[in-house]
Order: sequence, then structure tokens, then C-alpha cells
Amino acid sequence: MWHSLWSQTLDLTLIVVLLRYMTPILLAALGGLISDIAGVINIGLEGLMLVSAFASIAVGSATGSWELGVAAGVASSVLISYGMGFFSIKMKVDIIIAGFAVNIFGSGFTIFLMSKIYHMTGNYSPSHPVNIPTINLPFLADVPVVGKLLSGHSLMVWLALFAVFFCVLMIYRTPYGVHLRAVGEAPAAAKSLGIPVTRIRYSALIWSGAFAGLAGSYLSMGMTSMFVKDMTAGTGFLALAVVLLGNRNPVGILLGSMLFGLASAVATIVQTTQGSAVPSQFVQMIPYLVTICALVFFEVRKRRRSAGAVTA
Amino acid sequence: MRSFKQVYQEALGILVAVVIALLCGFVVILATSSQPMDALSSLLLDPVSNLFNIGTIVNKAVPLIFTGLALAVVFQSGVFSMGAEGQLYIGGFAGALAGVYLHGLPSWLHLIVIFVCAMAGGALFAAIAGLLKTYANANEIVTTLMLNFVAILTTSYLVNNVFKDPTSGGAARMKYLSPDLLLGRPFAGFPAHAGIFIALAVAAIVYLLLYKTKLGYELRLVGKNGKFARYGGISTKRVILSSIMISGALAGLAGIVEILGIHGTFKDNFSAGLGFDGIIIALLARNHPIGIVVASLFYAYIQVGAQTMQVGSDMPREVAVIIQVMLVLLVSSQAIFHYMKQKFRAKGGERHVA
Amino acid sequence: MTILLEMKGIHKVYPNGTAANRGVDLQIHEGEIHALVGENGAGKSTLMKILFGLEAPTAGTIEYKGAPVAFQSPRDAIKHGLGMVHQHFMLAPSLTVSENIVLGEEPKKGALSLFRDRAKERGEIAELIRTYGLKVDPEARVDTIPVGQKQRVEILKVLYRGARLIILDEPTAVLTPQETDELFVSIKALVAQGYTIIFITHKLREVMEISNRVTVLKAGKTIQTLLTADTNPEEISRLMVGREVLFRVDKRPAEPADVVLSVRDLHAADDKGAPALRGVSLDIRAGEVLGIAGVEGNGQTELVEAITGLRRASSGSIRYMGEELIGKSVARIRAMKIGHVPEDRQTSGASLDSTIAENLILDHYRNREFRRGPFLNAKKIKEFASVMMKIYDVRARDENVMAGSLSGGNLQKVVIARELSKNPKLLVVSQPTRGVDIGAIEFIHAEIIKRRDGGAAVMVVSAELSEVMALSDRIAVVYEGEIVAVLDNTESLTEEEIGRHMLGLGNKTSHREQGAV
Repeated sequence: MWHSLWSQTLDLTLIVVLLRYMTPILLAALGGLISDIAGVINIGLEGLMLVSAFASIAVGSATGSWELGVAAGVASSVLISYGMGFFSIKMKVDIIIAGFAVNIFGSGFTIFLMSKIYHMTGNYSPSHPVNIPTINLPFLADVPVVGKLLSGHSLMVWLALFAVFFCVLMIYRTPYGVHLRAVGEAPAAAKSLGIPVTRIRYSALIWSGAFAGLAGSYLSMGMTSMFVKDMTAGTGFLALAVVLLGNRNPVGILLGSMLFGLASAVATIVQTTQGSAVPSQFVQMIPYLVTICALVFFEVRKRRRSAGAVTA
Repeated sequence: MRSFKQVYQEALGILVAVVIALLCGFVVILATSSQPMDALSSLLLDPVSNLFNIGTIVNKAVPLIFTGLALAVVFQSGVFSMGAEGQLYIGGFAGALAGVYLHGLPSWLHLIVIFVCAMAGGALFAAIAGLLKTYANANEIVTTLMLNFVAILTTSYLVNNVFKDPTSGGAARMKYLSPDLLLGRPFAGFPAHAGIFIALAVAAIVYLLLYKTKLGYELRLVGKNGKFARYGGISTKRVILSSIMISGALAGLAGIVEILGIHGTFKDNFSAGLGFDGIIIALLARNHPIGIVVASLFYAYIQVGAQTMQVGSDMPREVAVIIQVMLVLLVSSQAIFHYMKQKFRAKGGERHVA
Repeated sequence: MTILLEMKGIHKVYPNGTAANRGVDLQIHEGEIHALVGENGAGKSTLMKILFGLEAPTAGTIEYKGAPVAFQSPRDAIKHGLGMVHQHFMLAPSLTVSENIVLGEEPKKGALSLFRDRAKERGEIAELIRTYGLKVDPEARVDTIPVGQKQRVEILKVLYRGARLIILDEPTAVLTPQETDELFVSIKALVAQGYTIIFITHKLREVMEISNRVTVLKAGKTIQTLLTADTNPEEISRLMVGREVLFRVDKRPAEPADVVLSVRDLHAADDKGAPALRGVSLDIRAGEVLGIAGVEGNGQTELVEAITGLRRASSGSIRYMGEELIGKSVARIRAMKIGHVPEDRQTSGASLDSTIAENLILDHYRNREFRRGPFLNAKKIKEFASVMMKIYDVRARDENVMAGSLSGGNLQKVVIARELSKNPKLLVVSQPTRGVDIGAIEFIHAEIIKRRDGGAAVMVVSAELSEVMALSDRIAVVYEGEIVAVLDNTESLTEEEIGRHMLGLGNKTSHREQGAV
């Protein structure tokens, strides 16, 4: 197994696989980041991705156009997150419970639709699948190292990397980004200065829906060409873990996503290689253990900083 | 301990939520089914139309009662542990281990040991998140969600590699427990297993614990007003830790009763989200043990109904998800309950707001 | 001298019946520094909230620059040129100083004005800092700068939005003396440039130092407006504190016996880590009531918390019946027959979502007599609760009523019932009758005296001077974390005298010279 792993690292297959696994995590995590910054953390990323994955492949294969598929995925995810906003902001449902409800909904409703529309129960593979295109750079493709690194990735991978840049711009270079941060940290202050707190919270959730939508469409039209029930398999929770680790900034999210992407990639390789020394379950566990350790680490560091004189 | 009026208020709110949620489900059925009336009757009537179905409802309600109780206990103390799923895996695993690998004990004693192991397993696993919260101030929502995965993956590994029954082939499981340890069916022709009695008994115990004992008093007080509890000299750390461990023990019971009643041994991935269903049950029942029993039966009824509907019409059973989601959202809507509280309080006692 | 702002006959009654403003008149001249003073609860904050659009008055008019106005929101008020620097800062911690200042009004650039024009922002902020001499580092994160600078950020915020009338709400409450001096320099500079300042405070030295005129509020009404130059702190404090109907409690003269509680050189920090108690020493004897007078925020809260175990003192000693209390757990202290009626009954004193009975048994639920096997003895609890409710005149249907639906007075009686039910040897009460109706006040006062006559040592902390005078045998005055005076509550003791000490004006008897207090 180690030999296989090493050889794949050497011929950069590992990097390719890593980028593939990292993409949905990264996109979902960026969405989670925006909602967390505004104080309305979206834990319903799993459900949103499932809805989007289904909508994308449904519309994509029906119209033959991947663009429409992706658009449908994003639109459906945005719609659900708007609903989530309504319930949590207007009806005062705890944001965690609302996210939890979105997860249940996403899982069940997609299975329902798959059964109703395609009469399939476990998975749906369209006869004429349409995929998000891969970007082949013809002049580079044959260049040794660089070729493998830069060419042949799905468009969504590039989009995800671009999204990091986009988020940095939006969060730090626009007034909207400053307002997001203010609403999340000091809503009373923001309100006293006339910033529309409710509107900003809704918009943050919608952004998270949009990013989760992109992630979802990649799952069914990029990583695979099918929809499988519950195909997110915890990716949404990994994304949440990345949000917590990423220290509230997009570059940290990128690093965290790469780390978890790496863990997922290694887990896959390990699972597909015979006679693996390290069981796949333990590799899969790494992101979750890392998150717990990081959380504790941050809390302990926070406590060490403040004075704290009151008895418990 | 609450006045009739308050219970009435809450029950009314929940009833309204249930009705609206059901209506949402009906709307979806009417819109997408070519035989809506068949679908509706299969959903609502078939589950109670024969003993087999009723028995299935009872069986499905059993683990829900346990996980619902687990969440109710922890929610009442103000802790948002979402770790019932992981705890039931660990507890179930521990109990199954005791069942399969201990020999030479008379059945009744063996069963007791199995239950104790299951509860201990769940409690100790829950204690991890509890300690992280009380001593490192780590958010329990995150830690318990993460630990769920750790628990599921760990037990999966163990049952696939260390404790696997060689005859189990692709679907990994431990060796089957000896039949006299399993929870049998006490009524001939009625498929409900004895687990329901255990569940009801445990619900009664939890009720007594929460409302009639010292610890229950402390637990609820910490959940209602931590400052007041601290002012009174109650150690909130101790109470939170106890609460989360009790919750873990209950979840462990959910696991082992499900194993003893339905599966016969620990099977890889045997729980399809029972821990998370428990969250819904606790929310529906507003954390009250009696309500948990009712909510579990109702939820199981919907689940079985969805299944019979799938069999008896062109509706897949996932339609029930619509109802479940609307239930969760409506029941948790503080706005609705606040609104009702305002209306009722306007009549009642004057309240000073300093 | 133009009148910039005129508030006439402002009334504000809240839905629960509290009347915070009962006819306030305020007239502000352009270019002046106008101090607004009054005790806690006099109505200053409410008045400013109304002015700033955070609340609507129940009656009264406001004229600004000669035209009638009624601001619907802070944004509205800001647009008209008002600015408020709140007592509790409204800043976003992880944003920079600059970002906080321009929050909501960021300079924009680019297509569709989507981007921040950071260069312009930097320029404008630098200009602002230079013009007003309020030095801060614009690129520093707000959670890294000290309090004095945070306040400057708040002031800059207000100036950036073009405020001409600036309201400062208790600005020096959180400042060191040096920071206070710097603030005053800035204020004077602003006024020299034509700004107008309303300065809310209860520190009379500052009023004298910086204001042109001062308006005194008391119990929701305007008492008088004076020219600072024509008055002095004594007169102002007399107007602030004034003569009120004294609740004369019939009581026998005290017969104090042995010392029950002995506090020596107690030091403790507040929640933010700043020193709250700076060497407090006092004694309380059995059979006497020691009143603690003082404006809120001078260390009384921390003193009570230190004695009852809710806050750990950093040094000094608290001896109760010979035992040292510092370091003991709250449960232990409560079990030593120390009763505590806390100042915030709704958060610490009671659990509003629990029943009266559940609130009453807080100390007793551990006792054997309230248990039956592993369970709580429901019958005994019910009996106990009924008896308590009768003795302490708690008016509610039964013991299962939720504490949250009780009136203030009734809830306080529940708290008192609980604390007195264990027959404490030391009773510490804080703000016992705040928000309580007259009938309940009489009852509660009578109970306190009854206990004192029964041999308990009682400490009463109250911001209500008349209450302190009605109940106490001796009165200790707290100011800035120290006991500045201990007075025998004789017939000749006047409120003015106590008031002077409360405001830090009296002859401070150094605690080092006091010895046994």
C-alpha cells in the first residue's frame, strides 16, 4: 500500500485525486464560511448539496446542457437556503435545528424525486450523461510535471480555486464583506448604524446555498456521472469541520480543504489497494479527530489569553 | 410540576404543528400521485389495519423512545449534545461483545451484564464530549457530531476486521448471540418484541429521575437558569457531565435493545439515523418523557405508513420526510410558541420586567 | 446663544407600568457642554434613548434647530446631525478601527460601487484623526486597543457621520484618570470648533470641571438647570438626592452583640479584571443592620459576591464566626447559614421558568427531611412551599405557579422566603426592594428588622438612600472600591451628608487609619 501511495505521489496522481476530492469540500466550506461570518452558521450543507446534485443531473441530462444543469443545481440550493433563512430568522427556529432539518429534507426529498421521476431507488445514471467539462490545455498537456498539474482538471476545480480568490475579495475588499463581519460579531452595533441586519443574514445564507449548489452539481456531474442516494456521505460535515479549522478566512479554508481532500484521497487509494496496512476507517476518521483537537486547542488558547476572575 | 394551563398551551402548539405538517405531506401527495386517495389511505389507515403493522410500529418506536429520552435528558440540562448516534453504536457494540464473548453465565445474569455494558459504553463515550465541554469549553454540537463519525467508523472497523463472524460474508457482523439472550416476542402472532416493555419502563424511570429526584431537579435547574444554579451552590460542571453520561447510557440502551430485539447481533451500520431521529422526537415531545413515548409511536406510525404507502400506491416512502421536516421546523419555531405565550399571558399574571 | 435642542414635557411609561420619564424638560444651547446628572434610575438613559430614536416617548415634544422632530431610528437621528457615544461600546471586535469608524458609510469605488475605496478611507480617517486630535491607529483591530482608545473610535464614528450634537453617556466610567484628562482635552477642542456636547454622568467633580450648564434629573423629572459657574457640588448633590418620603420603619434600638462577619483589607477584581475592591474592611455584629450606601458600580456587587462565594477575592480575609470564607464553595457558604438576596432576582435570585416550589427548595432539596428514598418527598415540598408562601405573603394561586408570572414584589418575597427559611446568622441583601410595590416593600423591611432583632447580622446594600437610612443601624459608604465613611445612623444624620460621601466628596477617613471599623 505504501508503495502504491508513493508511486502515485510521484506521478502526481495523488495531486489530481486530491484536487478532485477537495473541490466539493472547498466549495461547501466557503459557503459555510460566509454564513458563519454573518452569525448564521449553515449546518445544512449536506442537504443542500444533495438537492443540488439531483437537480443538476436531472436538468442537465434532460436538456443536454451542463450549464443549465449547474444553474438548476445552484438555483435549487439557493431556494432551500432562502427557506432556511425564513424559518431561522423569521420563525425563530434555532439555526442549528434549521440546518438539521435541511439535511433530513435534502436526503429524503432527493430519494423521493428519484423514485417519482426516474423510478429508481438506489441511484440514477442517465443514459446520456452530461458532465461539467474538463479543461485540457493542449499546449501543456504533454509537458512532464506541469502538464499533469495544470491540465485535465474539471472546470469546477478551477472554479473552486477561483472561488477562494472571490471570497477573499468579497469579504475583505467590499463594504458588503465588512457588513457581513459586523452583523456576525456585533449585530447591535450594525443595527445602530443603519445596516440591514436581517437582509444581510438572509444574503449570507443564500451565498452558502449558492456555493453548496456548485459543490453538489460537481458531485453528480463531475466526480461521478450519476446521482446516488445520500451521495454526499458526510462531505457537508467535513466542510463544517473545515470552516471551524479555517480560522474564519478563505485561505485557511483552502488549506483545510486540501488537508481533508488529502485524507479522503488517501482513504480511497488505501481502500482500493489490496493488503493495506492502515484500515480505511481510521484514515476516514482523521478529519473528525483533527477538528476536535483543533477546537480544543483554540479554546484553551482563548482561555489562556483572557483574565477570568469569576468562580465557576 | 407544571400547571395544567401550561401543558395545555404546549400541547396545543404541538397539535397545530402536527396538523400543519400532515397537511403539507397531503399536499405533496395530492400533487404528485396519480392515485392520491389510495396513497393517503395507505399512509394513514394501513399501518393500523392489521396486527403485523401495528407490531412493526411498536418495534420501530422502541429505539426512538430510547434515543428520544437520551436527547430529552440532555436538552433539559441545556446541553446540545447530538451524539446519540455514535453513543448507540458504541453502547450496542459493547453490549454485543458482552453477549457474544462471555460464557458460562445464566441467561438472566448474562442479560444484565449485557445491558450494563451497553449503558456503560454509551455513557463513557458520551463523557468524552462532556469533559471536553466542561473543561475545555469545547462546543458540544461540534464535538458530538464529530465523535459520531469516530464511533461509527471505529465500530465498523472492529466488526469488519477483529470481531467479524467469518460466515457473514459481505455484510459484516459479529457472531449471533445465543437465542435465549434475545428479546422474544411475548405475544403470538404479534411481531412486537419485548423491547417495548423495557422502553416503557425506562421512560417511567427517566420521568421519575427528571421530576422526582435530586439530580433531576439540579439538571433541570441548570438547563433553565445556570446562573441561579450556581448561585445556589450547584456545581454546573458535575451536573452537565452527569446529564451527558445519562444520555449516553440511554443511547447505548437504544443500540443494544435494537440488537437484541431485531438484529440478533451487532451489524455494521445497523442504525439508519436512530440517533438523529431521537433529536426530532425530543423536539416534538418538548423533552418530556411521556411525550417521548407518544411522539415515538406517532413518528413510527408515520414511518410504517410511508412504507405501506409505497407498497400500496405509487408514492415512495420518502414523502414522510416532508412531514418530518415540517414537524421539526414548526415545533421548534420559537416565534409560534412566543406568540401563544403572549396571548395566554396577557390574560394571566402581571409580570414585572425590571 | 441659540437653542439647538429643546425637549419639553417628555414622558415615557413602559408597557409593564414603569414610568422612566415623568415630565422632563431639557434645553441645550449651541456650542455648550451640558451635563446631565442624576442617580441611577433617574431617567437619564431613557431620555437619551428617546432623543436618539431608540425609543418613542409616551408624551412630550422635541425641537431640533427650531423645527419639531421625532426620530424613528438611530439612523434618522444620525442624519440630522446627532451622535451618541454609548456607555457600552458598540464596536465589532475583529474589525479595524478604520472599518468600525466608516461602518455603514464606507467610501466606495469600482463598477457598481461594489468595492471599498481603501485609499480614500485611509485618507479620510487620517484627516479626521488629525483634525480632532484623537489619536488612534486606524489599522489596529479593535479588540487589541485599550478602552480609552476604543472610546476615541466611538467619538470618531460619530464625527465621521457629521454629528454636530454629540451625546456622551457616562464616558469616564471606564477610563483611567489620565484617559479622562485626554478625553476632556478632546471635548474642549471639539466645542471650540462649534460642536455641542451633552455629557451624562454622576461624577460631580467632572461636572464642575468641564460643563457650562448642568441639568439635574431625579425620579424621572427635571429638578433644575443651573449654570455650572454659579453652583457647587453640594448644591447639585442636594438636588440629586433631595428629600423624599422616608420609609420610617418602627424599630427598637439595636442591641449588637458579637462580631459575626469581619472583612479585612479585601481586594477583588471585577469581570473585566479591573480592581473593584481596593482594601475593604468592615465588621458586622449579631443583632445589627449594616447598610452599604453608594452609587452603583463602586464595588458593592463585588463585595457581596466575595462574601457569598460567587467571586474569589484576590487578597484579604473574610472571617465568619471564626472561619475564613475565601476559598470556600458557594454550597458550603450557604450551608453555613448565610443568606443572600441577590440584586438581580430575575437572573441569579430565581429561576423564572421553574415553579415557586422549585425555587423555594434550592437549599433544602439535599436535606434528608425532604427526601423519601431516592426521590424527593413531593408531599413535604408542597407543605413547605405552602407554609412559606403563607408566612411571607406570596400572592399566587399555588406553589406550582411559574415564578416568571409573579410580580416583582411577589417574586422578591419568594427569594426572601427561601433565604430566611434557613434561619441565617448572616443575611446579605442587595437592592431588596428594587421594582417592588409599596406593600411588599413594607413587608420586606419588617422581615429584615425582625431578623435583626432575632440576633442575625444583616448587611443591606442599596442604591436607594432612603431605604438604607430606614433600615440601618450603621451605614458604611462605598466609593471607588473603598469604604470612605462609616456613620452611625442617628437622628441627626442627613441624606446630604451621606450623599456627599457617596459622590466622593466627604472627608475620606483613610481605611488605614480606621482600624477596627
